[in-house]
Amino acid sequence: MRLVALTVFCLLLSGVAGAAAYFFPVVVAGVGQTGQTVIIPPSVTLGAKTTPAPAASPGAPFTVLLLGSDDDSKFASDHVLTQSMILVRVDPQSRHVAMLSIPRDLWLPLSSGGSGKIDWAYSNGGPSAAMATVERNFHVHIDEYAWIGLKGLIKLIDQLGGIDVLVTNPVLDDFYPDDIGGGYAFGAKRVAVLPGAQHLDGSQALQYVRSRHNDINGDFGRSARQQEVLLAIKAKASTLNAADLPDIVTALKGEFKTSMGLDRVRSLLGVASGFDLANVQQVVLYAPTYTYYPGYYINGNSVVLPHWNQILPVVKASFP
Amino acid sequence: MILRRLAALLFVPLMVAFGSGVYLYLGTLKSKVVKEHAQLPTVTKPKFVLPGTMFVVQDGRIFKLNAGSFTEIGPAGDWSQPALTPDHTRLLAVARAGASSDLYLLDLGGQIVKRLTKNDSKILDANHWAYYPRVSPDGATLFFSFDSPKLVKAAPGVDLSVWSMPLNGTQSQARRWTDPYWYTGGDVSPIPVVGGGLLYVRHSIDPSTAVHAQIYYQTRPFGTGKALTSLADDCSEPALSPDGTQLAMVCSRGKQTAALEVAPFNGGVLGPAKVLLDSGLYASPAWSPDGKALAYLAPAGAAGHFQLWYLALPLPAASATASTSAAGASPASTPRPTTTPAPLAPVQVTQGVDLTGTSAPAWY
Repeated sequence: MRLVALTVFCLLLSGVAGAAAYFFPVVVAGVGQTGQTVIIPPSVTLGAKTTPAPAASPGAPFTVLLLGSDDDSKFASDHVLTQSMILVRVDPQSRHVAMLSIPRDLWLPLSSGGSGKIDWAYSNGGPSAAMATVERNFHVHIDEYAWIGLKGLIKLIDQLGGIDVLVTNPVLDDFYPDDIGGGYAFGAKRVAVLPGAQHLDGSQALQYVRSRHNDINGDFGRSARQQEVLLAIKAKASTLNAADLPDIVTALKGEFKTSMGLDRVRSLLGVASGFDLANVQQVVLYAPTYTYYPGYYINGNSVVLPHWNQILPVVKASFP
Repeated sequence: MILRRLAALLFVPLMVAFGSGVYLYLGTLKSKVVKEHAQLPTVTKPKFVLPGTMFVVQDGRIFKLNAGSFTEIGPAGDWSQPALTPDHTRLLAVARAGASSDLYLLDLGGQIVKRLTKNDSKILDANHWAYYPRVSPDGATLFFSFDSPKLVKAAPGVDLSVWSMPLNGTQSQARRWTDPYWYTGGDVSPIPVVGGGLLYVRHSIDPSTAVHAQIYYQTRPFGTGKALTSLADDCSEPALSPDGTQLAMVCSRGKQTAALEVAPFNGGVLGPAKVLLDSGLYASPAWSPDGKALAYLAPAGAAGHFQLWYLALPLPAASATASTSAAGASPASTPRPTTTPAPLAPVQVTQGVDLTGTSAPAWY
C-alpha cells in the first residue's frame, strides 16, 4: 500500500514538474512582463479632475490603454515615443468593447509638466505618465496599460499564424521606415499593401498599420487601420488556449509589458472568444470634427489641436 | 535495503519519462492556429475537381491547377496576379523585386516570353509599382495600374493610375487613362471591355473622410469616368463574365466583411446586383470558362489561410438594360438596390494551402 501511494505521489510530482517546465516561460513572463506596477504621479500642471482608481472586480468593465512604440535604435531604451495610443474599454458582461484612437500629434498638457505631443508622455515618464496624461485630459479612469514594440507586434502576429484583414484601399509608401532589421535606423523603403481581403503575416501587418505618408487621412487613417488589425488579432486570439501561451510569451520577450496580472490576461483571452464585431464601437479623433490642424508649428512640431467640446462627450459616452 | 535502493534507481527514469510525457502532451494541446502551417499546393489534393485550367498564386509562386492536381510553373521570384491573354495562349504576371514590380508575358508553362516593363531603379523613390495586368479583348493592348506620376508636395504622393500600352510595344509607348484621387492609393483592377471602354476601381474620400472604393466605367483616356456603384457600397475586385454580360464584385460597405455580388452589365450600365454570399472575407472572384460558376478566395478554418472556393450560380441575373434607371440614379451617393436569393452552397476546393488573396485566379 505504501509503495502504491509512493508511486502515485512520485508520478504526480514528476507530472507537475513536466507541466511547470512547459509553462516556465509563462511564469517568467508573468513575473517580468505582466503585473507592472503603475503609480500615477500627482498632477504638476493639470487642474483636471483625476478619477479615482477603484480595484475592478472580476467581471466588471475595465479600461486599458494600449501603447505601441518604435523600439529601435533611434531611441534610448524605455524612452520611446508611442506611435499608437488606443483606449479600450471592455465590458465582459455585456460583451461590448469601445476603442478610441488618440492621435500621436495631439498637443495637450502633459502630466509631467508643460505641454507637448501626447506621444512624448510615455517617452518622458513611461506608462504611468502616459496613463496620467490621458486620464487628466480625457477625464477617464484607466485601469491597466499594455505596451508593445514594433518587433513585438510582428512576433505576436506571426505566433498567431497571421491575421485576416480586409484592406480597403492600396497602402503605398515610398518613405516607410526601414528600421527593423538592425541596419541604418533612419533608412527608408518602399511598401505596397494591395486592397482586398488577405492573410497578412507580422511584417505585412506592421506595414499596414505603420505606413502614413500616402494616406489622405495621415495619422488618423493609420489609427483606423490599427483598430482593424487589433480586431483581427482579437479574432485570431479567440482560438488560442493555455497551451499556446509559452510560445507566445517566449516570442514577446522584452517586446511587451503590461500592468495586467496573468489572471486578467487569461480572462481577457476568454472574453475575446465571445465578442461580436457588431458590439465593438470604434472612434478615431478625425480632423476637423474632433481635432484640427492649427496651420502653424508649435516649437517646431507639426501638431493637431483638440476640440475638447466634441471629444469629451464622446469619451464620456463610450468610457463612462 | 539493496532492493529499495535498486527500486528507487529504477523509479527515477520512470519519473523523468512521465514528466517528459506530460511536457510533450501539453505541447500537443496547442491550438491549430499556432501549429498549422500552409502546405504547398503541389502536395495537396483538391477536394473538388474544377473544369478547365486555373492559375493561382501562393507566397510568390504560380501554380497551375488542372484535372485535380497542382503543378508549379514559372521561374523563381515573387510572382503574383496572373492573367490570361484573350486567346488563352499566354499568361501575364507581376514580378515584385524589393522596391519595384514589373509585368511579364509568360507562356502557359511559365517560361518568360517577354519583360513588359522596367520599373527598378537604384534611387529609392524612382522605383515604380506595376500591378493588375489585363489585355484588351482584341489582344492588342495591355492595361495595368502604375504609380506614375508621383506627387512631390509636403507629403510624397504614390498613387496608382490606370495606364495602357501596346502588348507588342514598349513601356515608352504607355499612356495614362485615369487621374487618381491622390493619397488614397489610386485606381486599380482595370478591365478593358469590348468596344474600347474600361472598367476599373477608383478609390476616393467622402466628406466624413472615409475612403471608399467604386467601380467606374470610362470610354477613353482621361475621359470622364462614370461611377457604376455607390460610395456607400464600397465595391471592388470586378470580374467580367466571359460573354461580358455580368460583373462579379466584392462589396464591403465600410465593414471588415464583404458580400460577393453579381450584377448584369451591358457595356456601360450596371443593373441591380444579387448578393450571392454575405458577411465573409471574399476575395478575387473569377468566372468559370462557361460563365456558370465563380471561383473566389476566402479563409477557411482557424488558421485563416485563404482557400479556393467554387460557387455554381443560380439563374442568370436580370438584364442591365431593364434597370438602367436604378443603376443610373446618382450612383455616387445612393446604394444600389440588391437582392438576396436563397442561400447558395459554395464548395471548398483546396485545403491546407494559403493562396494569395490579392491574386485573382486566371481560369480558362
